Amino acid sequence: MNMSVVGKSVKRVDTLGKVTGLARYAGDLSLPGMLHAKIKRSNIAHASIKQIDVSKARALPGVKAVLTHQDVPRVLHYGSPHPRSASVTKDQYILDNKVRYWGEGVAAVAAISEEIAEEALDLIEVEYEKLPAAFTVEQALCPDAPLIHDTSPGGNLVMDPVIVTRGDIERGFAEADLIIEGEFKGGRPTPAYMEPNVCLCQWDGNGKLTVWISTQAPFMVRGVIAEVLGLPLNNVRVLVDHMGGGFGAKQDLFQNEFLCVLLARESKRPVRMELSRKETFLSGRSRHPVHVWLKQGFKKDGTITARQALLTFNSGAYGSHAPGVTGVSTASLTSLYRCENVHLEGRAVYTNTPIAGAFRGYGCVQSYYPLDIQMDEAAERLGIDPAELKLRNAVRGDDIAPSGHAVTGHGLEDCIRRGMAEVKWSEVRAQAHETSGAIRYGWGMGCEMHGSSAYPGIKEQGNAIVKMNEDGTVTLVTGTTGLGTGAHTALAQIVAEELGVKFEDVGVVHGDTDVTPWDIGAFASHTTFMGGRAAQMAAAEVKKQLLERAAERLEAAPGDLDIADGMISVKGVPGYQISVREAIAPRLGLPAAHLVGTASYHPTKSYSFAAHFVQVKVDTKTGQIEVVKVVPVHEIGRTIHPVAAAGQIEGGIQQGIGHTLTEDYVIDTTDGHSLNPSFVDYKMPLSMDMPPIHTIIIETAPNPGGPFGAKGIAEDPIIAIGPAIANAVYHAIGVRFHHYPITPEQVLDGLRKKNEAAPRPGIAA
Amino acid sequence: MRRFDYFEPQTLDEAVALLSRYNGTANVLAGGTDLLVEIKEQIRKPDHVINIKKIPGMNRLTFDPVAGLNFGSLVTAREIETSPDVRRDYSGLAQAASEVGSIQVRNRATIVGNICRASPSADTLPPLIADGAIVTVFSEGDERRVALEDFFVGPGRTVLRPNEIVTAVELPAVTPHSASIYIKHGRRKAMELATVGVAVSLTLEGAVCRRIRIVLGAVAPTPIRAKKAEALAQGHALDEDLIEAAAQTAMDESRPISNIRGSAAYRREMVRVLTARAIRQAQECVQ
Amino acid sequence: MKQVVAVTINGEAHELAVEPYRSLLDMLRNEAGLTGTKKGCDVGDCGACTVLLNGRPVNSCLVLALEVNGGDVVTIEGIQSGPDRLHPLQENMMKFGGSQCGFCSPGIIVMAKALLDENPNPTEDEIRFALAGNICRCTGYTKIIEAVAATAKQLSSGKEITP
Repeated sequence: MNMSVVGKSVKRVDTLGKVTGLARYAGDLSLPGMLHAKIKRSNIAHASIKQIDVSKARALPGVKAVLTHQDVPRVLHYGSPHPRSASVTKDQYILDNKVRYWGEGVAAVAAISEEIAEEALDLIEVEYEKLPAAFTVEQALCPDAPLIHDTSPGGNLVMDPVIVTRGDIERGFAEADLIIEGEFKGGRPTPAYMEPNVCLCQWDGNGKLTVWISTQAPFMVRGVIAEVLGLPLNNVRVLVDHMGGGFGAKQDLFQNEFLCVLLARESKRPVRMELSRKETFLSGRSRHPVHVWLKQGFKKDGTITARQALLTFNSGAYGSHAPGVTGVSTASLTSLYRCENVHLEGRAVYTNTPIAGAFRGYGCVQSYYPLDIQMDEAAERLGIDPAELKLRNAVRGDDIAPSGHAVTGHGLEDCIRRGMAEVKWSEVRAQAHETSGAIRYGWGMGCEMHGSSAYPGIKEQGNAIVKMNEDGTVTLVTGTTGLGTGAHTALAQIVAEELGVKFEDVGVVHGDTDVTPWDIGAFASHTTFMGGRAAQMAAAEVKKQLLERAAERLEAAPGDLDIADGMISVKGVPGYQISVREAIAPRLGLPAAHLVGTASYHPTKSYSFAAHFVQVKVDTKTGQIEVVKVVPVHEIGRTIHPVAAAGQIEGGIQQGIGHTLTEDYVIDTTDGHSLNPSFVDYKMPLSMDMPPIHTIIIETAPNPGGPFGAKGIAEDPIIAIGPAIANAVYHAIGVRFHHYPITPEQVLDGLRKKNEAAPRPGIAA
Repeated sequence: MRRFDYFEPQTLDEAVALLSRYNGTANVLAGGTDLLVEIKEQIRKPDHVINIKKIPGMNRLTFDPVAGLNFGSLVTAREIETSPDVRRDYSGLAQAASEVGSIQVRNRATIVGNICRASPSADTLPPLIADGAIVTVFSEGDERRVALEDFFVGPGRTVLRPNEIVTAVELPAVTPHSASIYIKHGRRKAMELATVGVAVSLTLEGAVCRRIRIVLGAVAPTPIRAKKAEALAQGHALDEDLIEAAAQTAMDESRPISNIRGSAAYRREMVRVLTARAIRQAQECVQ
Repeated sequence: MKQVVAVTINGEAHELAVEPYRSLLDMLRNEAGLTGTKKGCDVGDCGACTVLLNGRPVNSCLVLALEVNGGDVVTIEGIQSGPDRLHPLQENMMKFGGSQCGFCSPGIIVMAKALLDENPNPTEDEIRFALAGNICRCTGYTKIIEAVAATAKQLSSGKEITP
């Protein structure tokens, strides 16, 4: 297909404001008379609140409103508000008479300054009755464990276990020449977006609420606030323009939105609530820590005969996305590497620790790390090169994907082959490891696949309105949210391409629930795939109307017309053309045509693929691992904006390197308090830690459901990097790790154990 | 930030008078990169903040081949890091200064602030002690000099009395065939609090070690000299065996704790590895 | 009690009344209305609030507003070469994809300008070293480094560099 706008790295619609400092984020806004709000947080992980005395706080000059659980509606709500969703759990109150994790909000204050609000927090006296707590999954699953919620199914399970079965694993294992099983553990990385959670709330004189907020899902925020407060949807307006990242977590509500809304109502003043960085850690959402037991059977030629797994997720104090993550993660193990006989079980468990939620990769980080590492182990035992083994087993066209759909094309195989060629895989793998001195180098690779859209967990819908203005320019009205990835630019490119107009002639209106069509929110790698497809369909509708109008002028059938670069021409008649502007413009005293297209798109699912190739360097004396080079190969069907797509890949790799080597939000298992709620001790890779990344994007398996064949890219890059690093570390030092993050201390321990186990020189092995 | 009153004394006398008047409820602000963080995090709750940046003369940095290096308490980490004199003769200190936070932080943070904060993991303290730093302490009508190695009494605690201010740091001139090295261990390459910091300052005569100081950070309540390790090395040719033995001894002298940044066992092990590396690097610098 | 700070911000003289416990960051955002400078951590760990104070990059969250009395501050809003002309760093951050969510971009651009003012031809390692205190969670830094390197090349050669 010959594209004039799609596939070009056009100037993004959102970055001029960002590089000049003029882009307004929710926390940049202020209103006359605005108050500042703060939350009093528990310093105990599990307790009943016997009494809260706020009289001293209320008496502090400058304090305008104070709320406790006695002052707010007691309505059970979804912490994360997917509509009709099986992905989330209804187990939260705005403020409860219990706390279930260290740092949970117990009261809120609005005052004329942040300092006064903070001083008021110190004046609030809370009397707790300490309850027995469960800080680990093991503790929570004990028969006599304290129950964190009264909800079913009980036993601290968030929901009934997820069980996925295909074929017959007993037969599969019986046919195997080699059976490998292992246990794996994943830590607690957090998204650590740069913009702390913030909102600004105002009630007008007519009882209408406006909320400016940093969220990925403004319509969901509107829906939950309206539901909890009993308001009609048209009395709640949620606005979000620029936002400083979310990476999945900003799909949830975090207590502060409700409290800010209610403080504004109570004080009759606009109220801003901005979380501190520490609070963003304390009350934020992490990836679910996980324990995975995985067993696979292989034939000598590498064919996988059976796969069995038990995945146990730590949900923290509330359910949030535990059902969704558990479902996606468990089902993901049906695929990536083909296997006809699987039995998979996933569970999610409440503990008295911070809440785990949605985070880029949504369960697949936790499942593909073990799966890919075990493939590496199997390759060694079978005497097959690991990339070759993965290639032989790679999921491919017509295989059944985790969603139940047939996979399209051969994307994963193409990624593996391209990466092997790019890094000269067989050469770099064969290179003798440097054996003198403390430093060792190694190469590894890992694979992943990830779905665009949350189907079948959620039945989604993308909507768009495209209007053509009387000068031929175009306005796309979309409910999609821009997390910073350039989604609105991609959507505008799709509209321009479909309509045959210049990219610069398409404007985007977004971020206002009163104005834009409904949108489910920016997550599940679906904005370009689903919102983009809806925009393309709406643009096609406008194009149809425009061509009908132009057909009269050109005295030709609409079907014989074509639009390119803003000009409408008759096919096969060179030079016979009018501009789009002329076609729509007012004429003979009549106003311009009203050209509006609307579209709704109900996607099913498409899968994107990647193979990551990584070189690491290990200091065997300090145990420090450094990623030297990354070559990610991604298959995404159709690239809309190459620079933005590559940028997302590189950012995902940064987070994935962090997951694997340095990032872990650590909870003290004696009392549940967090040990590192700061950027000093929560260690994300920074400029000096990041290796060069040589990104390769291929377009070999376009999906007919996406705009021009495009699929998602957002989540994929965080998944394959982890096992690729772990496999490279094994190649470098011969020590196999089954967990993340891999700390220097563990590397030294691993080397020590390996050396102890190694046969002494002189003794025949 | 919590509410406080603010003062900008114009002289040292005025500053110490304020400290005396607000005995215990005032904090001195120099760079502010530690103090303001501690106020924001409610670790410190001063009612009065005394900014000493308006006091003249304390931002000077002088070097003399005979007298050595002398700098005032307003000299920043970035000035130390980029000073050609420091980089040439006190390279361990320059390296340590370059590892304090970011450039933005180092443009504000002062070395004396790093000293007075007395964090066991502070980067600049081991090389300062290794190079023999002496601080000048000013109080009402009095001035005293304290060897930096005797300055610290515990985490965040020093011999400084509430109405005293450190005004300057001096480092003796280096003798020929000397070198100083600082190696920091952290999980990342920057923006780290040291898991372990090792400073080595030595003078060689041929292969023989005429003078050596080994100072360890983040492995005891204060920075500590590994005196037994020093004694082992001093007066001997530094061959591989001796270096390993000295490193082992330094490890035995360290008394680290376990925390989020590393276990005690790992920190001890790193003292051994990094002490050996620091001695070797210092040797190479001299040769 | 509020005190008056006389300060030059982006070349313009201001007199702003602030409490002694206000940071320069809060003064810029709340009193001067310059919200381009961002608050990502408020304790000097992220660099989103980087401004030039008397020519040097600092974390404005770790400077008391009263301390800048008589001083000169340049923020992201004052980086442009002219009223309608972006600084090449700004152009290249857009072109090379160095800005995604954009929350770190003001701090990165101010820090990179400070680097290029001091060292017009930095190596890649020097760029990475200079940006160590600026957290970016979106880009993996690759495209930021490219944008800064391209700007250096562009400023020394006078030729525009394309990705």
